[in-house]
Amino acid sequence: MKSKLLVISLAGLLLLTFLPSNAVAQFLQLPPAPPPEQYGNILINRNSGNYGVKPVVFSHWLHRMKYTCRVCHLELGFNFQASTTLITEKANREGKYCGACHNGKIAFGITKDNCKLCHNGDISSGKSEFARLETLPKAGYGNGIDWVKAVEDGAIKPKGSLDGNYKTVPFKKKLTYEVEWGDIPPAVFPHKAHILWLDCANCHPGIFNIEMKSTRHFSMDEMVNRESCGVCHLTVAFPLNDCRGCHRR
Amino acid sequence: MKRGTLVILILIITGSLAFASSMGVLKRRPLPDEYGNVFMNNYSMKNNIAPVIFNHWLHRAKYTCRLCHVDLGFAMKAGATGVTEEDNKRGFYCGACHNGKEAFGPKEKNMFGKETKNCARCHSFGQGPVLEKDFYKFTKEFPKGRFGNGIDWEKAEQEGKIRLKDYLEGVSIRRKPLSVPKDFDINAGAAHMPEIIFSHRKHAVWNGCEVCHPEIFDVRKGATKYTMSDIFSGKYCGVCHGKVAFPNLDCQRCHSKPI
Repeated sequence: MKSKLLVISLAGLLLLTFLPSNAVAQFLQLPPAPPPEQYGNILINRNSGNYGVKPVVFSHWLHRMKYTCRVCHLELGFNFQASTTLITEKANREGKYCGACHNGKIAFGITKDNCKLCHNGDISSGKSEFARLETLPKAGYGNGIDWVKAVEDGAIKPKGSLDGNYKTVPFKKKLTYEVEWGDIPPAVFPHKAHILWLDCANCHPGIFNIEMKSTRHFSMDEMVNRESCGVCHLTVAFPLNDCRGCHRR
Repeated sequence: MKRGTLVILILIITGSLAFASSMGVLKRRPLPDEYGNVFMNNYSMKNNIAPVIFNHWLHRAKYTCRLCHVDLGFAMKAGATGVTEEDNKRGFYCGACHNGKEAFGPKEKNMFGKETKNCARCHSFGQGPVLEKDFYKFTKEFPKGRFGNGIDWEKAEQEGKIRLKDYLEGVSIRRKPLSVPKDFDINAGAAHMPEIIFSHRKHAVWNGCEVCHPEIFDVRKGATKYTMSDIFSGKYCGVCHGKVAFPNLDCQRCHSKPI
């Protein structure tokens, strides 16, 4: 029994230490990694196609330079799954969803000339803008940018709220999760890095309960299925390929 | 529309109870006009009539919570009261007001003596828009809030945008008001988490004493122990907050004491 455990732990250790990350990705069946300037870009097509309009391209990296996740995903009510939010042109024109900013005041408005800026169906659009991110701290995965460091260093100052009326709860507790696979370092969860971007209610209690030790275990399989950490750390926040992003000594 | 609406309504109603089983994903939030709506179907469909959709927003703009939940005896959980048509006709529950005097009754006669039935105004599920008042028009002038109905109800009352009736002739019995205890802090039980400032005064405007005491909260100080998880699953503060009163998403509204 003991030797079996040892073999598994060794295998795990090998997997993380020596194998290139694409092997990890293959093992975990992670989605293919898009080029950095496309990471976090999504096509929204809940209703556009039905009206003969091209799907909307939405670029997370472009928006997160100026606003935190909570502005859209809490204040404006955007879901965490593409094409499930009931965005309509009417709602936008009434100042909801995209229209809360895209009104010609905060950001470009909904005019005939501007349709194509969003409704272009091109997931790689905005590529030329990506050069603006060159000065930000680098990372190995996702957009190739260490977004948390970028905020901490003051390289970007994303707004935490549209009305400026929001103060983060200063909850900075660091959580550590032991890994069942022997020698893989524990996963470290810093509240501090997350509250830079998110509201408590973005994660609690919908995605994570708040009762200590009530989540029996976090499995990588769940995350690959876009559950728990995978709600963000698969398509927008640094991807699961970046093992050391969480599993640290 | 019907199946979708049913699903959404059930989600809203079971909302905070169901969270434990749907861990790991994020639910859709109800729209401002859906928040606090209650689906009642103990007997309706069995008797071939559309279920009732009760909207808290319209009622709380005119009456205190206490009036219905204490004087009229409505339970704090959807469906738990078991209102029957017979009860209403005898002047209990909805029938205490919906009698053609305080509010519209089941039938109305116009000046020419022509009778109209008002059934669908409450038994409205799947009947299309039947409300006399449109949520967004009705609440347009109310101070804006962050979540839930998108209305700051507390402020709306303070500013006199709404005037709450707390007494119903023939039903309520006036008592001398009790003095309201001072605001106090509730320990959040976690480092860096701001303490909760609980205001009896703010709650008493709507609830008197009896909505919460002694059934939801013991009156002995510190005797009721509860956690945030209990609240999220619809107990203690979660009896109202998360269903009708501002939702638990708004952490800082309670966890408000500066550190």
